[in-house]
Amino acid sequence: MDSPAIAIRDLTRRFGPFTAVDNISLDVAAGQFFGFLGPNGAGKSTTIKMLTGLLAPTSGHMELIGLDFATHPLDIKRQIGVVPEGLALFGRLTASEYLRFVGRMYGLDRDTTNHRTDELLDFMNLANEPKKLVTDFSHGMQKKLALAAAVIHGPRILFLDEPFEGVDAIAAGTLKAMLQRMTERGATIFLTSHVLEIVERLCSHVAIIHQGRLVANGSLDELRAGVAASLTGPQPEEKLTLEELFLRIVGGSGSGTPEEAVQELSWLA
Amino acid sequence: MAGLAPPPAQKSLHGSLFSPLARGQYAALAWVQTRIFVNSLRTKRGGFELGARIVAFLVFGAVATGPSVGLGFGAYFAAANNHVAGISILLWILFLMWQGFAALAPALAGQNPELTHLLRYPVSFGSWITLYLVYGLAAPSTLIGLFWTTAIGIGIAVARPQQLPWIALTLALFAFFNLLLSRMILAWIERWLAQRRTREIVTAIFLFLGLGLQALNPAFQSRNGLLHRLSHQKAAHIPSRVWTIQSLFPPGLVTSSLMPATHAPEPGRSQSLSLLGLYTLGAGGLLALRLRSESRGENFSEAPRVSSASAGRKVRRRPVLDFSGPIAAVFEKDLRYLMRSGPMLYNLAAPLVMVVVFGGAFRGGQLSRIRGEYALPVGLAWAFLGLVRLICNNLGMEGDGIQFYFLSPTPMRTVILSKNFFHLALFLLEAGLISTLIVFRFGLPAPSIVAATLAWLLFAIPANFAAGNLLSILMPYRVNVVRIRREPGGLGNGLSSMLTQLAILAAGALVLAPCAFLGHTWLAAPIFLVLAAISLFVYLRVLDNVDRMVQSHQESLTLEIMKTG
Repeated sequence: MDSPAIAIRDLTRRFGPFTAVDNISLDVAAGQFFGFLGPNGAGKSTTIKMLTGLLAPTSGHMELIGLDFATHPLDIKRQIGVVPEGLALFGRLTASEYLRFVGRMYGLDRDTTNHRTDELLDFMNLANEPKKLVTDFSHGMQKKLALAAAVIHGPRILFLDEPFEGVDAIAAGTLKAMLQRMTERGATIFLTSHVLEIVERLCSHVAIIHQGRLVANGSLDELRAGVAASLTGPQPEEKLTLEELFLRIVGGSGSGTPEEAVQELSWLA
Repeated sequence: MAGLAPPPAQKSLHGSLFSPLARGQYAALAWVQTRIFVNSLRTKRGGFELGARIVAFLVFGAVATGPSVGLGFGAYFAAANNHVAGISILLWILFLMWQGFAALAPALAGQNPELTHLLRYPVSFGSWITLYLVYGLAAPSTLIGLFWTTAIGIGIAVARPQQLPWIALTLALFAFFNLLLSRMILAWIERWLAQRRTREIVTAIFLFLGLGLQALNPAFQSRNGLLHRLSHQKAAHIPSRVWTIQSLFPPGLVTSSLMPATHAPEPGRSQSLSLLGLYTLGAGGLLALRLRSESRGENFSEAPRVSSASAGRKVRRRPVLDFSGPIAAVFEKDLRYLMRSGPMLYNLAAPLVMVVVFGGAFRGGQLSRIRGEYALPVGLAWAFLGLVRLICNNLGMEGDGIQFYFLSPTPMRTVILSKNFFHLALFLLEAGLISTLIVFRFGLPAPSIVAATLAWLLFAIPANFAAGNLLSILMPYRVNVVRIRREPGGLGNGLSSMLTQLAILAAGALVLAPCAFLGHTWLAAPIFLVLAAISLFVYLRVLDNVDRMVQSHQESLTLEIMKTG
């Protein structure tokens, strides 16, 4: 059997007394479109930061593409692309300058970098404002540019932290098609998003993290089966959507249903 | 469902500067600043910043105290002897130093506040401008200026106690005018530097003024020059035309207001004060004009318009450096950043302008030959000053992009090495310009001095870069590339980098001075070469450890460089 693209064992990250990620173990197979979900503050971004080398784990073990992150960080970084939470853009460059810079930082030769830059700018519809600085881009444009930068070197694993937030519907459609084609060609995509419809449509496998712990992991059907098994009352007649699954898995810990919570804000018009 | 109640705060939005809403906002901002300060003390870095702040306060206090004693006594004797021109000269010194510090030494200009984060709140324009000035009050240039103004006031008041209220009123207005003028100049320079076209115009004006002043220098310095003649004449004999012209400017008006008995009839005092008030209103008006746009959400970053012809057309690529690889990529990126950042260019150019402006001060007098001889080492040491902020905080301009370095497969050692190359290139450029100027002004120095200077550079450059790389990793702070400001959190780094500079300069002086004193200046070069070998070794050790250090400080580095506000 092929080794997984991402293998995590007992990954933990503490910030002082607070444990953001608590003993997570997870495998993501090569070519999988993997959704990593959780409510705000659950530990998603912390996990992605550790997997991409932005944050050192307190303990645990990570392997990407069969390489140990602790001993081969640079070899791994050559093979992964990341759209982090902060986008990691250089605001005072133009889009074209930024992509050429990124390409060279990944060791691409100048001709390849220029060629891919042109293609990506056209693809992302960013080519018509060649002199505009990145800092003057809208958030959606910045997100598209960050995505372009994440794929310019042809990564084998792509980590995307909320990639569709602020991106218009047309661009989102194009991006989804691009990501699906990447997985068809063997790339692995590790995605976090709060838009559960998108995750449901794109991802073959999903993991849910809650309060730093992994509370669900598997294909959507496996998750449905897990939820159904935990129900004591009557079983739902229709297939549960991902949103319903998500709320059943992590929603029970809040202050009741959203409707009940809103009742508390009696002063709100 | 209940209907919408009228928003109670609506009425007070357009209220006075001291409406309940405005007062609440000031209180909230003061509270938040206090909390930020208190919270910063939770970390070692915060404690160090506080220590650096105290040291800086003591240093500036010492710098301000010496001249203020002189100004106070000068003002007392001038007022007691009815020496009107003496008072005028003191006020001109105060005025020029206040404005000069604020405009030419951004570190002394203090924090030029970034208030755009207040745009989302209902902050009135009056409150906006008030907050801007309050931040200005905390600037070192303002504090020193106020201290000196007070010293002059005390001097005059002791000589003329019966006029105390009038003296206080006049000098208070003069201080307010200086505060408004310095903030106004800085605000406009900052705006002009943010756009390419106006940046070029400002640069041209600076060069023109610098060279113009340089051309004037011989007039002041020659034995038949103006200063020489002035020193042999009584102030009362200053040409009446010069006196008339200066009396139309704020320092002259303050003089007329303070010393009316000899040069103006009694009503002249009020007229002078009124004219000073008009100047104050003018400076305030220009400041308000600038801040009005900012308070309305003006985009401060450079956003060159795309012409319809160029839109949709592919840009012809002309790489700044025609070679690939991460080192060249970082070098080219940093060059583009620098060329697009007016304030950073300004920081680089300011020491150069100072050399051009004050270079003439080295000429003339009994020690002219000695000063000319050492102009080269002094000038080259000075050339480091413009680069200190870049060298000692070499990741500070990256902003959110800092994360990219941690994500990319390029080792941080390569990134830092590339930045060192870039800063070396800038230093060589600046040093070349200063050397040319010095040779032009003073002629070629002795070969032994040239050799000692070059050998000292071989020591100073790696030493600077070694210390700079350490400080960049251990004490980074975010640099706002479109604002002229003393960056929050940058004081500790600034103080440490200045101490490093002093140590490197002291090493140079401690070697060169005894050698020159003993008449063996040539001996300095080999000693510096030994020191250079040591500093190169240290630099390489630091460079080898960059990745390890960055890894262990990655979180704090990301937090400091990416933080906003």
